[in-house]
Amino acid sequence: MRRDTSRSRLVIGLLVAAALALIVLDSREGADPVTTAARDAGELAFAPVASGVTAATAPVRDAYTALAAAPGARDRIADLEERNRELRTELAARDRDARRAEKLDDLLQLSGMGGYEIVPAQAVTRVTARGFSDAVTLDVGREDGVREDMTVINGDGLVGRVTHAGRTTSTVLPAVDRSSAVGARLEGSQEIGVAEGTGAVGGSKPMSFELMSADARMKPGQRIVTLGSHDNAPFVPGVPVGTITSVNETPGSLTRTGHARPAVDFGSLDVVGVIVAGPQDDPRDSLLPGPPREAPEPEKAGDEADSQDSESASDTGESGDPEEGRR
Amino acid sequence: MKTAVAALLVAAAVLVQAAILNRLPLPWGLVPDLVLLVVVGVALWSAPTTAAATGFAAGLAADILPPADHEIGRQALLLCLAAFLVASIRDTGVRAGAGPYIAAALAALGVSLGYALLGLVLGDPRVGWATGAAAVLGGTAATALVSPLVLVPLGAVMRRLTGEAHSDLPAPWETARGLGR
Repeated sequence: MRRDTSRSRLVIGLLVAAALALIVLDSREGADPVTTAARDAGELAFAPVASGVTAATAPVRDAYTALAAAPGARDRIADLEERNRELRTELAARDRDARRAEKLDDLLQLSGMGGYEIVPAQAVTRVTARGFSDAVTLDVGREDGVREDMTVINGDGLVGRVTHAGRTTSTVLPAVDRSSAVGARLEGSQEIGVAEGTGAVGGSKPMSFELMSADARMKPGQRIVTLGSHDNAPFVPGVPVGTITSVNETPGSLTRTGHARPAVDFGSLDVVGVIVAGPQDDPRDSLLPGPPREAPEPEKAGDEADSQDSESASDTGESGDPEEGRR
Repeated sequence: MKTAVAALLVAAAVLVQAAILNRLPLPWGLVPDLVLLVVVGVALWSAPTTAAATGFAAGLAADILPPADHEIGRQALLLCLAAFLVASIRDTGVRAGAGPYIAAALAALGVSLGYALLGLVLGDPRVGWATGAAAVLGGTAATALVSPLVLVPLGAVMRRLTGEAHSDLPAPWETARGLGR
């Protein structure tokens, strides 16, 4: 042992010196040939081992990774599911928004043409009290200026009238309800009548139309618009109500009755408008969409003289341009 | 024979360390230093010169193998010195009882410290006081923790090869009693 000491000290000194030399060589800037060669050799020896180990331990490593991630994985899955649900809801909401915007456009167009001042609303529920009545609830009420006996329309035509106005909601009696009767006028004529609801939503003949005059005539395909009531309550004039689908030829009867298809699809009520102020003038047939518009020109001529009922009634409406409504 | 086995063991340890242990996703630098343990285990049964050479070779190999990005020679220097010191005290009864574990833990602490200090001296930007302390303590703890796993079988092998008639190195829980006497 004692004999070894000087030699071992020499060896250790040499090794330490070699290590220090290597450190100094390697820590200098630039690539040193010695250390570079050593590293290359090490890499050469190590690469197959490392790749072999990688291949051999891949399942273990995967399992370890999965285990290490396991506590967070459940949270993450929950997060992602939550996010997924949010996105799906958002997407559905966007679709619905687009549809609503479309309906609102229609509604605004109709009300603009007619010169009505409306409060837009959403039909939130449809309650059916024991199957007899068929009322629609809107999400606007007294606070929004809605009062009872106001006309409710949507982009297609008449929906009904407000029967009850609560603080923030209101109830609408649809025009197809049995207890609903709407004073109406045949398109392109002076013939007036009453459009009555005949049944629940979705019935085959949801509305009947009875002409007042015994010698008046109607035929299928003619459309009817609201006649308008005193003070625009409960119905403003000029709103499309429906289309005559069939005429009852009852011999001997004093009046003519027919069945009508409502202009509004009551099955899919969404965006509606409550008319809080009626038009200055009766828009007459101008709100009926597109053809078949029958002979509108002579009708226009007699328009002014004919609107005495709305002259007296239109003291509230000021929005909308009646001239535009004629277009 | 002993030299060849020691060389094989050291080479295997270096490869396992670089290929497996250093790649384990262990937190806080808690990577056990298998190379150090094997070097210590060999040095406990070797002459100081052989031990120093073994440590130097092992350290150099660990320095060179690819994931290493420090200066070549850092581990070689430290392992060489550690092996030399361990081998110098091998006849003072360190091989009995808990001695090997203590020696390994001290060597681990010294090597970790020395590595961090060398990094500081050489201006290694990755070695700061906080990270250095964490790495030193964590590495030392991990190494001490796994030291029985390496030192017990290694001690048995080396003892057979050396031909000394000692009893096998007892397990750590048995050496706790041996420490007291």
